[in-house]
Amino acid sequence: MKTSRIIIVIGFFSILGLVVFFPGRKWARGHVNYMTAVDDHPLNCFSCHAYTQKSGFISKLVNRKYLSPFNLAVSKDGNRLYVVAQESDALLVVDAANHKVLNKIGVGRLPHSVVLSADGQKAYVSNEWADNVSVIDLASSKVVDTLNTGNGPAGLSLSADGKFLYVIDSYSSNISVIDVNTGEERKRFDAGNNPTGTELSPDGKTLLVTSRRSLIVPYGESIKTELTIVDESTQRITERRNIESAYLMENAAFTPTGDLALITMIRPKNLVPSIQVEQGWMMTYGIVVIEPKQNGKTIQLLIDEPNAFYSDPFDIVITPDGKKAFISSSGVNTISVVNIDSLRTLIAKSRAEQLANYSNNLGISSRYIIKRIKTGADPKGLALSTDGKLLYVAEQLEDKIGIISTENLEPAGTIDLGGPSTITVARRGRRLFNNSGHTFQTQFDCYTCHPDMHEDGLVYNMASKDMGRNLTNTQSLRDIGDTPPYKWNGKNQTVYKQDGMRFSTVLTRTEQFNYKDLDALTAYIITGIPYPPNLQYNPNGELTESQLRGKAIFERSKDSYGNIIPENNRCITCHTPPYYTNLKMAYVKTLAVSDDSMLFDTPHLNNIYASPPYLHDGRAATLEEIWTKYGKEDKHGVVNDMTKNQLNDLVDYLKSLRAPQYEYSDLKNKKDKK
Amino acid sequence: MRNILRKNLQTSITMILCGICSVLVINSQPSAGKRTAEVKSKDNTNAIPVYGHWKNFTTKDGLPNNHAYCVRIDGKRVLVGTHEGMAVYEDGKWTNYTTKDGLAHNGVVSIDVSELTGDVWIGTLGGLTRWSAGKFETFNQLNSGLPNDLVYCVYCDGKDIWTATGGGAGHYDTYSKQWEIFTEKNAPMHEPWTYGVSAGDGKVYIAAWGGGIIEYTYKTKQFKDYTDPDGEMEIDLLPDDGPVHDITTGTAYADGMLWVSSYFGFCSYDGTHWKGYFDHDSGLASNFINFVRAKGPVVFICSDKGLSSTNGKSWVTYKKNDNNSDGLTIIKNYARNDDSTVVHTTKEIPSSPSIAHNFIIGVDADDNYLWVATEGGVSRGELLK
Repeated sequence: MKTSRIIIVIGFFSILGLVVFFPGRKWARGHVNYMTAVDDHPLNCFSCHAYTQKSGFISKLVNRKYLSPFNLAVSKDGNRLYVVAQESDALLVVDAANHKVLNKIGVGRLPHSVVLSADGQKAYVSNEWADNVSVIDLASSKVVDTLNTGNGPAGLSLSADGKFLYVIDSYSSNISVIDVNTGEERKRFDAGNNPTGTELSPDGKTLLVTSRRSLIVPYGESIKTELTIVDESTQRITERRNIESAYLMENAAFTPTGDLALITMIRPKNLVPSIQVEQGWMMTYGIVVIEPKQNGKTIQLLIDEPNAFYSDPFDIVITPDGKKAFISSSGVNTISVVNIDSLRTLIAKSRAEQLANYSNNLGISSRYIIKRIKTGADPKGLALSTDGKLLYVAEQLEDKIGIISTENLEPAGTIDLGGPSTITVARRGRRLFNNSGHTFQTQFDCYTCHPDMHEDGLVYNMASKDMGRNLTNTQSLRDIGDTPPYKWNGKNQTVYKQDGMRFSTVLTRTEQFNYKDLDALTAYIITGIPYPPNLQYNPNGELTESQLRGKAIFERSKDSYGNIIPENNRCITCHTPPYYTNLKMAYVKTLAVSDDSMLFDTPHLNNIYASPPYLHDGRAATLEEIWTKYGKEDKHGVVNDMTKNQLNDLVDYLKSLRAPQYEYSDLKNKKDKK
Repeated sequence: MRNILRKNLQTSITMILCGICSVLVINSQPSAGKRTAEVKSKDNTNAIPVYGHWKNFTTKDGLPNNHAYCVRIDGKRVLVGTHEGMAVYEDGKWTNYTTKDGLAHNGVVSIDVSELTGDVWIGTLGGLTRWSAGKFETFNQLNSGLPNDLVYCVYCDGKDIWTATGGGAGHYDTYSKQWEIFTEKNAPMHEPWTYGVSAGDGKVYIAAWGGGIIEYTYKTKQFKDYTDPDGEMEIDLLPDDGPVHDITTGTAYADGMLWVSSYFGFCSYDGTHWKGYFDHDSGLASNFINFVRAKGPVVFICSDKGLSSTNGKSWVTYKKNDNNSDGLTIIKNYARNDDSTVVHTTKEIPSSPSIAHNFIIGVDADDNYLWVATEGGVSRGELLK
């Protein structure tokens, strides 16, 4: 009796299981096929439902808090390393001899750079997401002061006399000059677009400030990125040198004599159709060699090879004897070593037209690159020991400091900073995002066009299937998980599809990601790319009077004459909070003659101030131009009834838009206060 | 455009004044004693710089055009705005810049230099241009929050850049990169047309067409307007009761004194008292005043009939003869006698050559030189020791 009951029960559940399993599996298959846009992705619920959770218990369970060393400085005696741990909002004090972390000093949000005072008593750390600089007393390992800066402080330089701190405000594109004694900002210059790197000449007279984004130029014109040169004695900008056809100039280094400065850079080929990758037709990488004197030479030289590219050059340092330069190429986990004497010889013996041609010569690097040294994942900031014998490398996605002998040019050890030992799925995804290994000849990676996981400000000709002109303004990847579909034409319904087969076919021109990697990359993109706070235009959720007036215009249903604005032509209809997109396609009459007939995916507007140029082909250089130059027919909202004051108010409001998490946290703070 | 407007206005106003008010004005003209009652000096030595040894520059010397609208001294160089671009005088040579180099428009009507950054801000008839370390960048009403492309005046006040435009006054904060527009909608203006702007001691003074002077206080973000209390458009009925006219063309602030120009006279304000000056009761060359610039205690007044300068007591006017290139430097000193009557002494010094033209729109001075932008070129005078 018992046996028969058991058989019946088992039979019942087996039949029930089969009844549920087959349709369920079929449903799951369909669901996964839709999400991934392929029909053979493994049916693994965890791929999405565990690793793409942005918050909550599961998210905490599967993710880890990493250190992500970004930049570093070495004490004069060489005994200490001071490492900026970007994701931990901390400065790590490291014993260079024993390879031990001695202290972890909390600083502001997303620290970027560290610089030490000449007497070694203080460290200054720029906090890019806090708009300030932490002043640290190194004897007590305590933050003793906080200096206010412009928006997005990144690179730092101290004047030769130590009286002034130059802070490069990367988001507001300024140079803040801070009196170290008083802590007051003495003046603020405009720099190039998205500046970050800075270097003071050995004689203390000239300060270089490198920019990452190109100045905005109409599509078809060669991009140009500003190198800003400051006379430190007068605290005046003496030159704004445009570096043609190059951008993402992250950092600079002077030779010990100061006659040359070397700057990392990328040369994008955004003006040619993206139909070929081979031979550098998408991106090439190199250095800008400049004579810093007024109207001095500017030469661009590649660090690539004909069949190998050294993507995403970030930092550069030069040995005290002026013989070697080291360049970290974050996209290929490599340090390239430059023989500076060879570089000088090449420049001296080449005619001007030859030097100009070298900027596209993939073979020329053999004349001055003497070694490639592998590192851990994502090498970023570099620092030399005082005697120049050791090179320290901040391996951002390894949570380690790599050590390289500058004499025999071999790895000489590693310092484990003590980050989580587990590499999570999202962390692996970030490594993939930042690594060019999945692109033909390692020519580029996701980070190349999406620096800081944002966008590079360029318009590319993503040749359409008919090889026509298909101009595409690069879009930000910040917090895009909840804003499908993707691409301007909205053809990709999920991040999986966006980064899957299409990605390899159209861009990387090599095998697509395997599903494990694709899962990881997707997990990272969906969960790991938060927006910076909008400290410049909306630091605390309290809108200015102008922004409030602009908000009313944004949400209005009647024009200035009292006429009803059709619902589908109101700002708020398509740009719905919290991401300011209704996730639908829209017609705004901005199609160019060369565009395929299509609707546009309504873009999200959070932190929109940080994404010029605007519209799908980047034709609008500023937010104002969307309507003053390209909104004459009132198809992209009704604007022609507005006064200039009202347009200013609207633009002020748009600039105030920020990510939902900041809105929520400010609301919560207000409630808590009540 | 500004010239045409002014000339038309000048003609009509002159006719009105001549036809309606001349008798009244002449008959009611107060004596010098009445109009200069505050003058205390007895020794006739009210220090005011006098310039001479004029050197005139025209297209023959390298200017792009002889219609010079503005001039600004920037250290060792001099920047001149003309009808056909900006000219820079440095090391004895002129270098010209136009829209081909990046200027917003070739009609350059105002130039100022930021003491903070050294950037040159250029007001043109087609937008505002920043010239920084050799690079031009343009702000216009289409690509930025600039109120209007007719930028009659630009003024750098630390990190703040102020513009007086045909569509209101604009304020650009170079730190926050945000614009504000002030018009009759949000400020006590009669209409959005503004001609001049200056600042000092935490306040901004906007010369608003028909609205007198609009004072903006940074700290409170509040406005206050100063208009002609007598309300008369043709004459200044009650002396020293306020601004001489509601149609103002420029303001200048220095040493705690606000100077205001109009097409109907000139006035000053020390924070308590207003004082009016006219061509019939002071050393003023003409009541039709285009521009004003203050340097310490001295103010330079650009009119249609020559250049005047004053410290409120002494006057120096530079005029060119109509029929040749020579002219006069007219010095008037006001003093009070023991019986409290005020007398003035006049001294005329011939100059050969004189300033290039009597229609003057711009002026700037440093320790050694006075530069004047005229309808007939640019003039440079040396400080006479």
